[in-house]
Amino acid sequence: MSDVVPGRHWLAGDGLHVDTRGLEPPDPMVAVLWHLEQPGQNGPVIVHLDRNPVHLFPELVERGWLYRVTPEAEGALTLTLLPAPKDPA
Amino acid sequence: MSSTGFLGGAKDRLLPVSVPFRFFLGAVLFHLAAWAVLFGAADWLAGHVGGPGPILAAIHLATLGVFAMTAIGASYQLLPVATRRPLARDWPTKVSFWLLAPGICILTWGMYAAEIAAMQTGAVLVCAGLVVFAVLTADNLRRAGSVALVASHGWGALAALIAFAVPGLLLVWDFGAGFLDDHSGLAAVHMVLAAYGFMGLLALGFSLVLVPMFALSRSLPQRPGQTQLVLAGLALTGFGLGWLTGIPALTWAALVAGAGAIGAYLWLMRTAMARRMRKRLGLSFVLIRASWALLAFSLILGAAVVTGLPIPNAPALFGFVLLAGWLLTFLTGILQRIMPFLASMHAAGASGLPASPSSLTAEMPLKIHAFCHFGALAVCSAGIVLDQTLLVRLGAGLGVLGALAFAGFALNVLWQLKAIRAGA
Repeated sequence: MSDVVPGRHWLAGDGLHVDTRGLEPPDPMVAVLWHLEQPGQNGPVIVHLDRNPVHLFPELVERGWLYRVTPEAEGALTLTLLPAPKDPA
Repeated sequence: MSSTGFLGGAKDRLLPVSVPFRFFLGAVLFHLAAWAVLFGAADWLAGHVGGPGPILAAIHLATLGVFAMTAIGASYQLLPVATRRPLARDWPTKVSFWLLAPGICILTWGMYAAEIAAMQTGAVLVCAGLVVFAVLTADNLRRAGSVALVASHGWGALAALIAFAVPGLLLVWDFGAGFLDDHSGLAAVHMVLAAYGFMGLLALGFSLVLVPMFALSRSLPQRPGQTQLVLAGLALTGFGLGWLTGIPALTWAALVAGAGAIGAYLWLMRTAMARRMRKRLGLSFVLIRASWALLAFSLILGAAVVTGLPIPNAPALFGFVLLAGWLLTFLTGILQRIMPFLASMHAAGASGLPASPSSLTAEMPLKIHAFCHFGALAVCSAGIVLDQTLLVRLGAGLGVLGALAFAGFALNVLWQLKAIRAGA
């Protein structure tokens, strides 16, 4: 990524928060995946969105991240992301 | 942590998987039919300058069957997500399919066999299907809450749809009644407005979101996107007015504006590539990148046709590079990305987790398709320039093999989706 990552982010007690509200697609997806790909990122990552990121979900699955969707007011939602447990096999 | 919320709240914008996939599967079958008809009619291609027959049928199997079906299926699925406004209703999407699919079959059969009544019946059905699509899309764009630039391209594409469909109907009726003074001139306007106008503006508009999304690149700057739209609009308008008024300067101005639009588009695509997070873009982007070069090449050939440069069979070569070169290459590249992607969003298995797009993608058929597709482009082009039927037939044969492989890929996506859902 040659430019600064889109959106805002901050660390809190419950994990890394990424705020993508107000961004045009595909910036929300790019912002989330950029944070997930940072070395040592093990979550939780809490993502604040103003649209349902339907195209993000396949990318999360591809990268082995689990997510929980929490609907908020006026179509907004929060995603809570954690890496999927490694398969012992 | 669970994924029980998967797509929760998104179902309002995510259509049933059968809606886009019926269009995509239609496109896959018409893709095969287009190359097969060209294979059978190889001796007609090099000298083709219009008129009913197998080449006109093959052209419309590609343009309406592959390009329009793909664009409409993708628009129904992607626009509501991008604009954040669901389609008002699902059932009209099915109506548009059931008008378009039989309409394309009847129209192209009529063109193949030079049956006027079949052409007229098919043309009316196709136009009715396009009207349903236009109304649904216009309603969605009217309510668009974001992506204003993509929506503007959508409006431009809808205007081009009207501008190519009306001449299309006139041309079909003229085959029977012969009332047009300049049938071939109007046919050229019809093709340019359909290919560069309707399909082109959809391709340019969707590229602003899809290419950065697939490459994982930041959203593209607005100003060059606005420039490409304005220049493309000027080019299409200038070309149409040039034909209407017979003023060559307007045609030349259209070519210059078209070159500017393509330049802005290629700059945007290069920007997306330069800023991308995903380093390995895969086979789909080999096709997509090649299509960008072929888009520019098609305009150079178009200019060569306008100036009358001594390129053998230049009109046929221009049409082939424009349709099979740019649009077919671009759309098969996009389709092989969005089919597994969309299927993944609908494929929650017994674990509750959706399948990954890569697990739904069969690589080997796509490699065979890419090899055969590029071979078909090169060999058919050589056949057109050298006026060699054998080369055109060999190229079209490669196209058939590529289309079969692509159909194998598409059926595998559906098979996997069905198996995952059955196990859920």
